[in-house]
Amino acid sequence: MTWVTIGLSAASLLSIAIVLTTVLNWANRKFHVDVDPRVLKVIDALPGANCGGCGYVGCGEYAEAVVLEHEAVDRCTVGGQSCAQNIAAIMGIEIGEVLPYRPVVHCGAHYPDRLGRSEYRGEKRCAAANMVADVQACTYGCLGFGDCVRECRFDALHIVDGLATVDYEKCVGCGACAKVCPRNLITMTPFKAERMLAVTCSNKDKGREVMAVCRVGCIGCGACTRASELFHLENNLSTIDYDAYPEDCTAEMLRACEKCKRHRLVFVGKPSPEDLEKAEPLEAPEVIKPDFHTTVDDTEWRG
Amino acid sequence: MDYALDIFMIAVSGMLINNFVFYYFVGICPFIGVSRRVDMALGMGGAVTFVMSIAAFMAWAITTFLLVPGAPITRWVGSLFMPAAAAARIDLTILTYIVYIFVIAGSVQFVEMYVRKFNPRLYRSFGVFLPLITTNCAILFACLTIMSHIVGVENPSEIWGLGKSLTLAVFGGGGFTIAIVIMAGIREELDLCDIPVPFRGAPITLIVAGILALAFMGFAGVDAGLRQAISGG
Repeated sequence: MTWVTIGLSAASLLSIAIVLTTVLNWANRKFHVDVDPRVLKVIDALPGANCGGCGYVGCGEYAEAVVLEHEAVDRCTVGGQSCAQNIAAIMGIEIGEVLPYRPVVHCGAHYPDRLGRSEYRGEKRCAAANMVADVQACTYGCLGFGDCVRECRFDALHIVDGLATVDYEKCVGCGACAKVCPRNLITMTPFKAERMLAVTCSNKDKGREVMAVCRVGCIGCGACTRASELFHLENNLSTIDYDAYPEDCTAEMLRACEKCKRHRLVFVGKPSPEDLEKAEPLEAPEVIKPDFHTTVDDTEWRG
Repeated sequence: MDYALDIFMIAVSGMLINNFVFYYFVGICPFIGVSRRVDMALGMGGAVTFVMSIAAFMAWAITTFLLVPGAPITRWVGSLFMPAAAAARIDLTILTYIVYIFVIAGSVQFVEMYVRKFNPRLYRSFGVFLPLITTNCAILFACLTIMSHIVGVENPSEIWGLGKSLTLAVFGGGGFTIAIVIMAGIREELDLCDIPVPFRGAPITLIVAGILALAFMGFAGVDAGLRQAISGG
């Protein structure tokens, strides 16, 4: 390895580097693409869950829509108020208050409460069972086959004793469950507080018919409407006007809850301090068992 | 006629018999990563072929004129400092890996800038896989194969010129394109199938790639047969 060889190696590497640098420099200037820096800043401000709750395919697409097409800045349901404020600051505009939307299941009947249940041998899907008569007597209520559970990508819905139940600590508010329920039981409700009052029934029939199909359905007696102005009866069903929902729970609302003979006025939301205290002595399971099954297992073709 | 036969054999061998993906198993990263849809796979195959050709051309040029013992530029510079006979023996082939990586990285950057300006949709679909072509062993493999044919032979007439090197690069890239487009077609169908949960995603893709490699083994021995058929019969 003579000095000439070493010198030649160094010189050739250096000259190749210089040639490449020159060519790439020229190419960089010739092929320059202007990217609005605000797009990158908005992408940073977004949570990055790529859930599609805003209506766009991913956070990148929404960021470009906000910056280039003047899309509304409060479409991100996961980011909520703080994210909308950040994006508004980047875009240089002002926005009002943004409320988080969370799903409310308007049915409160578990398996024992439902009357007239018969054996269903079809595909274990709510969409399929909804088309067949007499799976259960109540044609408005939750079927419990779990279409919403399968749709949720954040493990926020579970079937508890036949009724779809929301875990509000995991829910991000993307709205997929509300879109997929074939009986339209789930509505996306603006949550002005951590726990909101909801009417957990969707049965629009008169009192006697309701009692024939369900042990806990709303009979449309109107006791809640007399206790508080928040409720009104629509189609024999008590309804809450969420636009007029107060920030703090009033005494009239609590009295309405007591007056309801069917106990359909329920507070839903993140666990309250009392619930957490009650759950403390309970033990959580240590072992998570894997659940190997495919969509084929849900179909029970009997030939 | 002999030369044309050689070119033809290199082309068929590079594209089908010794397919870069299914025989040598190089370039697996973009093969698995960009083979979700046929149009994107075609774009990636085209990009890899283009980069391979440019890189092979520059690799051949630099190796022949600078790195091998007896290369013109080295001999000329060396003769300024030492007797001509010794200058003809200066061997810079230790630089091949570094120089090839320089050249490949530079050409990939160039292609990335071009695609970003003139086809933004393709650029976004590539994502991180376009700069990954830089570290893609398929390109480096093509360049090193060319180098081995320039350096590792005793017989000077067997040294690969520009024609044979470019043929290997272009048709090797073509073979990669064939592989990735077939994979994309299969994966588009797989999206509609009911795959057991443990296999979804990468595992079933790798299994399908293995089956395809088995299928391409069927081409083994075709080069000998072709050579016999064309020159003998």
